[in-house]
Amino acid sequence: MSSNSDTSDPIWEDTRGTDDGRSWIDETIAPGTATDPDVESGDSATVTIDGRSVTLDAGSVLLDGLERTETEGYVPALCSYDHNERIGPRSECRTCMVETEEYGVVPSCSFPAEEGMTVHTDADEASEARDVNLDLLLSNHNLRCTTCGKNGRCELQHVSIENGVEEPRYGVFDDREEYEPMDDSSPFIQIDRNKCILCNRCVEACNDVQVAGVLRMEGSGGDTRIGFQNTEETMMESTCVSCGHCVTVCPTGALVEQGLVDSSTIPLPGFTHKNSIGKIVGGEFTEKPRNATPMIEEEYTENDPVVEVVETRSNERLAGEGDD
Amino acid sequence: MTEAGIIGADPAVRIAVGGDTRTTGEELLRSVRETSASVMVAEVGATGLRGLEPLVLATLDGETAFLPRCSVERAQSAVEALDDGSLPTGGAMAVVEHEPGIGRLPTPSDGPLAAGERTVLSACGWAMPTSVEDYRAVGAFVAPDVEAPDEATARLDEAGLRGRGRCDAATDGAIADRWATAREAEGDPAVVVNANEADPRATMDRLLLESAPLAVLDAALAAGYALDATNVLVYCNEADSLAHERASEAVAVLEDELDEPIPIEVLAGPDEYKAGETTMAIEALEGNHRLEARLRPPYPSEEGLHGRPTLVHTPRTLVQVDEVLSKGDGDHDAAADRRTRLFTVHGDDVPSTTVELSADDDLSAAREAVPFDDHLKAACVGGVFGGLTRSLDVPARANALSAAGLGTNGVIELFGDEQCMVAFAGDRAAFGETENCGRCVPCREGTKQLTEMLRDVYHGEYASEKLRELMRVMTNTSICSFGEDAPRPVRTAMNEFEPEFRAHADGRCPAGTCK
Repeated sequence: MSSNSDTSDPIWEDTRGTDDGRSWIDETIAPGTATDPDVESGDSATVTIDGRSVTLDAGSVLLDGLERTETEGYVPALCSYDHNERIGPRSECRTCMVETEEYGVVPSCSFPAEEGMTVHTDADEASEARDVNLDLLLSNHNLRCTTCGKNGRCELQHVSIENGVEEPRYGVFDDREEYEPMDDSSPFIQIDRNKCILCNRCVEACNDVQVAGVLRMEGSGGDTRIGFQNTEETMMESTCVSCGHCVTVCPTGALVEQGLVDSSTIPLPGFTHKNSIGKIVGGEFTEKPRNATPMIEEEYTENDPVVEVVETRSNERLAGEGDD
Repeated sequence: MTEAGIIGADPAVRIAVGGDTRTTGEELLRSVRETSASVMVAEVGATGLRGLEPLVLATLDGETAFLPRCSVERAQSAVEALDDGSLPTGGAMAVVEHEPGIGRLPTPSDGPLAAGERTVLSACGWAMPTSVEDYRAVGAFVAPDVEAPDEATARLDEAGLRGRGRCDAATDGAIADRWATAREAEGDPAVVVNANEADPRATMDRLLLESAPLAVLDAALAAGYALDATNVLVYCNEADSLAHERASEAVAVLEDELDEPIPIEVLAGPDEYKAGETTMAIEALEGNHRLEARLRPPYPSEEGLHGRPTLVHTPRTLVQVDEVLSKGDGDHDAAADRRTRLFTVHGDDVPSTTVELSADDDLSAAREAVPFDDHLKAACVGGVFGGLTRSLDVPARANALSAAGLGTNGVIELFGDEQCMVAFAGDRAAFGETENCGRCVPCREGTKQLTEMLRDVYHGEYASEKLRELMRVMTNTSICSFGEDAPRPVRTAMNEFEPEFRAHADGRCPAGTCK
């Protein structure tokens, strides 16, 4: 996202602002996520995975090798996505951990495939890590599959079954008091953050593929959530153009097409996705309260840099040079 | 701009203060200057012993009296005494004889200032922080001599110098390797001085930037020349205003002194623990509005700030670089880093106290620097995510600390018998839960479950194996050092004080402090 061709520019020149110091949404896409380095291999490499030799092209990570061979241990790699689609690797869920003889336990989805590496998928520490991390994901996921529109086509459900999860060790997120209201404002996309695993695929689809600049990652710690770059609370008030890419990439029932929210709900009267949560926001909209195209709207983002430049002679001189 | 120094002045009055006692120090300075026009008076950097501030050092004929917590009246009478040709020794905590014009703080033979040694701290409390004359009085700038870059890297390699502090991208690792990697990587290298240590327990980086900014920046520029870097960035904590100022003044001084200075920028980042993590520091410097850790490898030395090869070093590391490049490494064992380490020590109700220990010292050498009357139940070594030990007989070396399960972030907290270790573990886990960046599952969800499971101990359930399994996975699979280190307080508390956990599950707090 950020490459600086003129390296003598002061570092903060990358961040553009308005007169009052805040950035305009039409100038800066601010997904709130880190700019990861390029984690793919520079050269083609032959690696050994559970005793089998696999040759991978340049631009590969270990997971590419795992996908091309039969592995001893099941490696869910839940949050990963096809990296040719410009999404990921986010490497947040850590259910792709494998043991390597060279570097110990590493995340296969974001570890470059280097020539001669030896990978064991069934090593104790690696399989323990995958099991625990999958259960940690489930601990913060509301497991109300029977009212979920993704029931039967949910990646989290799929890997949990494949991994033999019966009773997640840390339980599931089932305290209704703690549920975040479902965002039902948009006629096209419903958001249930209680099912979100923060894989960031939707944010990348929205920003890096569609360049729509609507979704962002916000907050920190347990308050981390998917939000909107124009800081509004509902999808309808955001600058969403309803392209639907976020829904397509969502691995769980967090983002579902409105027409399909109850497609796989058990047919019992009063048994719906919405009342599985009980709290709804955005039901009152009859039309989109603002233009979808952010360039016309005078919307602020909250992407003020967290750093401040300390006044020094050197800083002033550099800032002056940048204006030339 | 170039200030006259105080080193060599006799008689002289030095007022040693840090950021916290700065206003008091300014008042002392004004009052003392009004009292006498003939005695040289200057504000010098802090000694590291905040409990002594404002500390006035009165020097006459190769003898210095240390006047701790000095009032205006006391300082005025001290300077009047010097004017009359006598050393004001009344109320002094120590009077030290030394070579006249000595370039380093003369240390008393007993009392808190005698704890450990003062090598990288030698200028602290004695030299004017941004005076070139004072800096030159004890040595030359190292940066201009770094022309044969591989030679500088080779000397660091010979010294086996390791990075110091959690905010250093080479923490506990060989820094010469990072320099070599960054030189070979594609792109214009950058050097980041990471002084944003927001753990209030660890004040040594702030101390160095306040008291020895020229040494820190001289070494950063040396790294810059060795790498042919195009930018040097000083990343401070927004709360450390004196550190910003001193760094800025030092930048101006260096620009005047050096023929081809590399542009140095000074920036202030959030006063948040996570913001000091090396990749989050880079995210902040790139202007992001939200901080989260970056994946690695590749490491910042290959692909860091704006994708450029980037060294991230703490002031703690850089003053060691300065020592190695300026004075050589003497007869140190080349195989391991035998250089000193800084520790901030916390005892009974005293402000933070920073001491320097040699590689041959045990941590117990730091205990003398602070009052601590209680029986030592345990010490937490390494900061908020440090490890507990019952004994301070652990050598002050990175490998020895790690081998003992302790942290290497240079903090020693002393705990007496009234400290409940379950409560301690719970507090540290809760800090991890609220302060993490939220990116990876083992840290974001792991710290939450860890805190919950420690709460369950109070409700009668102590799931020892389940806790250990969780902590193993957090340490093995988190993206950054935050999640790797977060379980350390709990793990070491369980190792050292397991009966306390069982007692709490039975509804009893052996320390008598819970409920």
